[in-house]
Amino acid sequence: MKNILTGELVRLSALDADEIGRTFARWGRDSEFQRLLNSNVARMASAKNAQTWLEKELDEQPVNLHWFGIRKLDDDMLLGDIDLYVYNWSARDAFVGLGIGEREFWGKGYGTDVMKVILRYGFTEVNLKRVTLIVFEYNPRAIRSYEKAGFRHEGRMRGVLNKEGRRWDMLTMGILREEWMEQNK
Amino acid sequence: MKDLFHGEFVRLTAEDPDVRAKIEVHWQRDSEYRRLLDSEPAMVVSEKWLKDWFEKRNEEGFSPNRYVFSIRTLVEEKLIGFFSLWVDLIHSEAWVGIGIGEREFWGKGYGTDMMKLCLRYAFTELNVHRVSLGLHSYNPRALKSYEKAGFQLEGCTRKDTLREGKRTDGFWMGILREEWLAMQNGAKP
Repeated sequence: MKNILTGELVRLSALDADEIGRTFARWGRDSEFQRLLNSNVARMASAKNAQTWLEKELDEQPVNLHWFGIRKLDDDMLLGDIDLYVYNWSARDAFVGLGIGEREFWGKGYGTDVMKVILRYGFTEVNLKRVTLIVFEYNPRAIRSYEKAGFRHEGRMRGVLNKEGRRWDMLTMGILREEWMEQNK
Repeated sequence: MKDLFHGEFVRLTAEDPDVRAKIEVHWQRDSEYRRLLDSEPAMVVSEKWLKDWFEKRNEEGFSPNRYVFSIRTLVEEKLIGFFSLWVDLIHSEAWVGIGIGEREFWGKGYGTDMMKLCLRYAFTELNVHRVSLGLHSYNPRALKSYEKAGFQLEGCTRKDTLREGKRTDGFWMGILREEWLAMQNGAKP
């Protein structure tokens, strides 16, 4: 069997509350990163805030959440984090969330690589039936990356976001187990 | 769509820690009930202890791997038993624990009716691939009831139980999704 935790450029790694807390605080200073990551109001959390929150989350080891750090294979640098959240076990559907905080590694294939790793993890280890994600209209780089990883466009919530004085659409994308199996024969 | 919560003789209801503790105090005095239920030494504990235990379980809330119901008869609304499902989420397998504390409802089809509801819930709501259970070989009434509900005897752990100076076997049963679906279309268990 393949090592399902490793891709071509990156690997999934354990999260350490101290390390990732410090790093989250640093990544959070990049407001563009925050806007691409989620639709919340951009806030600044101190390293301590982030560490306390992470310690609590990681302590609980919830059965629904598969959450990893993303590390480069060549020098072990922490690039970002990715999580697979199984919101409905009966339907076996999970939301995936991905962020690369180190902006000099945007647009170089790291995100696509880690998405392929997490899809293999989701379909062959967690035995999911589908994986869903949401992405914002103003993030074409992410949209292209998700298309490359095998996601298909499924929906568009028009004008749901309000950033920089205009409205933007939110897109939903998904990939079914059969589609992934077909792509990874 | 079918009603998941009503069978021929019984219905499923939420587990209320107060109600359940009150009645469990009576059930546990019946040592035969305790011995049919599991392998723990028959034990009597206070209503308060039981209430705390059920409350603690209740506070854990709706976790995706545990589903607990109390059972009432349709006619008299009498609380007669319970069942619980524990789901191995990754492999889509559920384990069932089931019991009727009111012994005058033994051997009359109530248990089979409960198990049918339990399987419908597991296969059509939780969408699991198989349901598993274990029982004592000295409980032939349960064995027959589970077979009627569609379970097959899959294994036996020889002489794993010591009671009244005698060693008896443990039985393991299971039913697969395809088998249950075939039964819904008229196949015999």
